[in-house]
Amino acid sequence: MLRFRYRFRQRNLPSAEGTGSGPAGRISKMRKLVTALIRHERIEGKHPYLDEARGYAERLIDEAVRNGDQHKPTMEIANYWLLEKDLLHKLFKVLVPRYENASTSYTKMWNLPTVYPGGGYHMALLELRNNPWPDVIPQQREVKNNLINVLIKAAKEDHEKNQQLTEHKQSEFTDQSTDTGTTTSQSP
Amino acid sequence: MAALGNRVAALGRIRLLRSSVFIQCRYSNTLPEATVEKHRKSKLAQDPEESETESLVAPRDYKYVYPEFLPDPKPQYRDRIREKLEHEDMFRRRTVLKIPEFYVGSILAVLVSDPYAPGKKNRFVGICINRSGHGLRSQFTLRNVVDGQGMEITYELYNPTIQGIEVLKLEKRLDPHLFYLRDALPEYSTIPFDFEPVPHPPGATIPVNPVKVKLRPRPWHERWERQDLQGLQDLELPERFYERAREVAKPWEKYDLMKQYRESINDDDAAKIMGYVYKKIQELEKTKER
Amino acid sequence: MAASMMSWRLSVSLRCGQSASFQQLDIFARVLAQPHLTQLHITRGARRTCKAAPWLSKRTVDHKLNEEVLTTESKEFLKNVAIERFKERMANSPLKDAPAERHQWTPKSLRTGVLAIKLGVIPQWTKDGHRFTCTLLQVLDNHVVRYIPPEEFSKYPSFKKKWRKNIFGSLVVGALSTDPFKFSKGYNNLCAKVGLPPKRKLTRFLVTPDAAVEPGTPLKATHFKVGDYVDCQAKTIGHGFQGVVKRWGFKGGPASHGTTKWHRRTGNIGGGRNKAAVWKGRKMPGHMGMEWRTLKALKIWRINTKYNVLYVMGQNVPGPVHCYVRVMDSRTLFRRKERIQRPPHMPTFYPEDVDEPLPEEIFDEEMFKFTEPSITFTDKKDK
Repeated sequence: MLRFRYRFRQRNLPSAEGTGSGPAGRISKMRKLVTALIRHERIEGKHPYLDEARGYAERLIDEAVRNGDQHKPTMEIANYWLLEKDLLHKLFKVLVPRYENASTSYTKMWNLPTVYPGGGYHMALLELRNNPWPDVIPQQREVKNNLINVLIKAAKEDHEKNQQLTEHKQSEFTDQSTDTGTTTSQSP
Repeated sequence: MAALGNRVAALGRIRLLRSSVFIQCRYSNTLPEATVEKHRKSKLAQDPEESETESLVAPRDYKYVYPEFLPDPKPQYRDRIREKLEHEDMFRRRTVLKIPEFYVGSILAVLVSDPYAPGKKNRFVGICINRSGHGLRSQFTLRNVVDGQGMEITYELYNPTIQGIEVLKLEKRLDPHLFYLRDALPEYSTIPFDFEPVPHPPGATIPVNPVKVKLRPRPWHERWERQDLQGLQDLELPERFYERAREVAKPWEKYDLMKQYRESINDDDAAKIMGYVYKKIQELEKTKER
Repeated sequence: MAASMMSWRLSVSLRCGQSASFQQLDIFARVLAQPHLTQLHITRGARRTCKAAPWLSKRTVDHKLNEEVLTTESKEFLKNVAIERFKERMANSPLKDAPAERHQWTPKSLRTGVLAIKLGVIPQWTKDGHRFTCTLLQVLDNHVVRYIPPEEFSKYPSFKKKWRKNIFGSLVVGALSTDPFKFSKGYNNLCAKVGLPPKRKLTRFLVTPDAAVEPGTPLKATHFKVGDYVDCQAKTIGHGFQGVVKRWGFKGGPASHGTTKWHRRTGNIGGGRNKAAVWKGRKMPGHMGMEWRTLKALKIWRINTKYNVLYVMGQNVPGPVHCYVRVMDSRTLFRRKERIQRPPHMPTFYPEDVDEPLPEEIFDEEMFKFTEPSITFTDKKDK
């Protein structure tokens, strides 16, 4: 199952490999992009192309993770999609162990700024998760010691204490009532 | 890599991309399915829906034995509660009527109550040439040649006027549909109405009939040479037909993983649905034994 | 010290508590919570709009900043506190103290409707083997949010001129309880007054005072009876700017036989002779769909009380799957007259009224239940 939000309808990309290349050109372009992604683990390009290629890359890795390299149809599919054959080993020996227990999607996509002058295209960056490159956003800010978080933490402790107190009182109350109940029932 | 780093640094902040379809003008006043699902189980709701008990793991071939339980794969038509209510209706019908396992190529006899037939009943025997539809809409088509006239009747599987479905011969064919029997010689789809049932021991594998059909000469209903059909003999056409077929062929569709994914229910969803079906079918069988 | 400061902080960040120490915001919220927030149609020139009017205060809050600042632990804690608070409030709802006065149904009384979600279309059969299609509408988490009596309502700016004054009150119904952190304080307070979490969608129904419902009351699918006739109102599927062939079903021109540039065109639009005018109402290209449409007098065949689903006749209830649908008693004359024989629940269905809980599935008499044996026809002469 795909673990990212994909489009309900595919983009036809009519001029993927030059004007009039049609659906055959589209799939050929997709193969090149998927091969490049598996090779370099991070690629940059026009957003619609990468978005389409992302689905194919995810499905290819998903099939490999599910069926392994002993499954003939999977091997046939991988052979079709990976134009450089040394990548077959990378897919089954490197990527499959990496994503065996993954609970998220296998790829990640980022928006890049449009470059002027140029085509004015919506650019994007597509990468495999847990790749060896440095992170796209270099450092996450540490927010644990912000004032608001410290205050919320204190409030949480107070809240828990209060809850325990009320529970304790209730239990005491119920204990007393049961005690009295038993004594009254025994007395006659 | 350095260039990329510079650009990222210059950007300062990159927004996370959500690559799915945003709710457009076309669907305003409408919620995505995930949001509706969230609200059904939300703790803030008046009476939230209880989480489902774990379903069983169905045998692998259940997807093919009960194909009508798989919903329409179009995401804009899918809804969990609708599918569930539909399934409940289907199982209720199955407690009354025995709907046997059958495939395209099997020979069936169907008994239907018909207000216009003598005796208010009608029995038809034929070869199943197609199965289609999802849920309560699922249907199958029977074909026979009666007095030299080809006849096809499409039955709804869950129509309450059906009184009985009997499998006379349980087998598969080489193709997912047999529409080409319309252009074949009549002996391939002629079945006598007193066809004797061929016994099939429970648990045995379903035999595949490898018969290759010989077609009449053209004109045909469809251009069969352009379809990838296994159950046809050599069509004996001039070479130009095959050339044209090669030109319009789409060999890449076999490897178009996303096209296949969009046009079918994915494995995880199918396993979940079939687990539920397996559980229900087992309950049905237990009640029948009593 | 930290805790007292925190409690102040919390009330601000929750945006739904009414803290005395923060009176200014409270007044601001009261100003925001004006009835025009609940207005259904926003008319300002354009026929269809996606965006809210600019003079309305914002419904949602951009809490991206909070997302960056708060840790996941603090977020979870705040959410749990909010849920706890609303659970308490819903348990101590105003309904328990003072149940509203209840009246008998009269032909002049107008009940509230519900705000349902369309689930899809499935086939069903009648007992004589006739097949028809049903639309499934789920009444999901509906509550009455506020009631405005007729005298007050007729002074409101949202009161339309064509309505008769001092007859109809306004009843706001909300569907789908949501996370209070996502909405502004003004919006949260609309529902918080009656002890409800904020609703994702609000809608307004006209009601007569005898059919007024106490705010805070949940509305279920059992608001209607099986066999009732309802009107369904929703926004149709949008198709954008369309030509004349798709929008109005014109024939267009021939595909071949020497045709050039005349395949999907509209043809002459003038009046003819020397009139020199395009008459009003001429069918032309333009925006298609995404408009409010009502489908009237649809029969309710079946009700599922477990999931609150209505099975409504017909496959053409406007809108795509998972759209909001306003479902109300049919206002067509014939159905109104019919209702005299079998009056509906007034003002809505209360589970306390019946001794035994309702069955999970309620069917119409004419409908085929799937647990029944197959349909057989008999000769009339035999009888």
